[in-house]
Amino acid sequence: MFGSLDISTSGMVAHRQWTESIAANLANQNSVFNADGEYEPYRAKRVEFKTGDDRGNVGGVHVSEIVESKAPHRKIWDPASPYADPNGYREVPNISPEIEQMNMLIATRAYEANVRAAQATKTMMQETLSLLS
Amino acid sequence: MFNYGALPTLERVVQFTEQRQKVIAHSIANINTPHFIPGDLSVSEFQASLRDAIDKRRGSKDPANGPVQPKDTNTIDFGSRGMSASPIDRNQNILFHDRNNRSVERLMQDMVENAMAHTASLQMLKSRMDTLGTAISLRV
Repeated sequence: MFGSLDISTSGMVAHRQWTESIAANLANQNSVFNADGEYEPYRAKRVEFKTGDDRGNVGGVHVSEIVESKAPHRKIWDPASPYADPNGYREVPNISPEIEQMNMLIATRAYEANVRAAQATKTMMQETLSLLS
Repeated sequence: MFNYGALPTLERVVQFTEQRQKVIAHSIANINTPHFIPGDLSVSEFQASLRDAIDKRRGSKDPANGPVQPKDTNTIDFGSRGMSASPIDRNQNILFHDRNNRSVERLMQDMVENAMAHTASLQMLKSRMDTLGTAISLRV
């Protein structure tokens, strides 16, 4: 029965990490400078899910890697900017807030489903333990 | 003593629901994993095998006493004390763009039903164990 709890917990952890990457994308949807101060528009982070938990067990799920989106940056017309190209366009992050918020909804619902599964497992374990009392 | 009445049957039900809970939890955890097909244990196979085993005991010399030993099925191996089962694909929904055919509603429904069956079996098991305890201690 503890295996079921491990599996549900791995689901919660994985979807929480997905939520964190979405939050980072939303927070940086207008970031154009990197940590060194160079002009480098932010690239959206995507999590890759894989079966098996992060402890090497077969059941459950884990985030196998966090990859950067390969989508081309969005270009906006800004000829006055010192970072504009010869045609007057400047690159900015290609992050869609609507899609990120939709993904946030999906991740949240999946997290809630895993919480419910953990609660059901906990109830079953409590009933099993009551046999001893 | 522990093969009397419904005790062995309830024990098998508890074993099955425990294993099924693990499979359902795994399916819920991987609800957004690409190429993952949610699985389940075959309830029909388990019920059919258990039913046949109960009928066999009923037809024996001592119908109220004795082990209930279901026969192995395609996906379930019944040991003398434990059980191991192999999950089957659910295939309850259309295939999404990420090649996952999840159905959240069916998963949650099956989880709730499985938990209720587990809880009910354990409560009946506890009731019978309490009766045995009363008999052993000769309390009235």
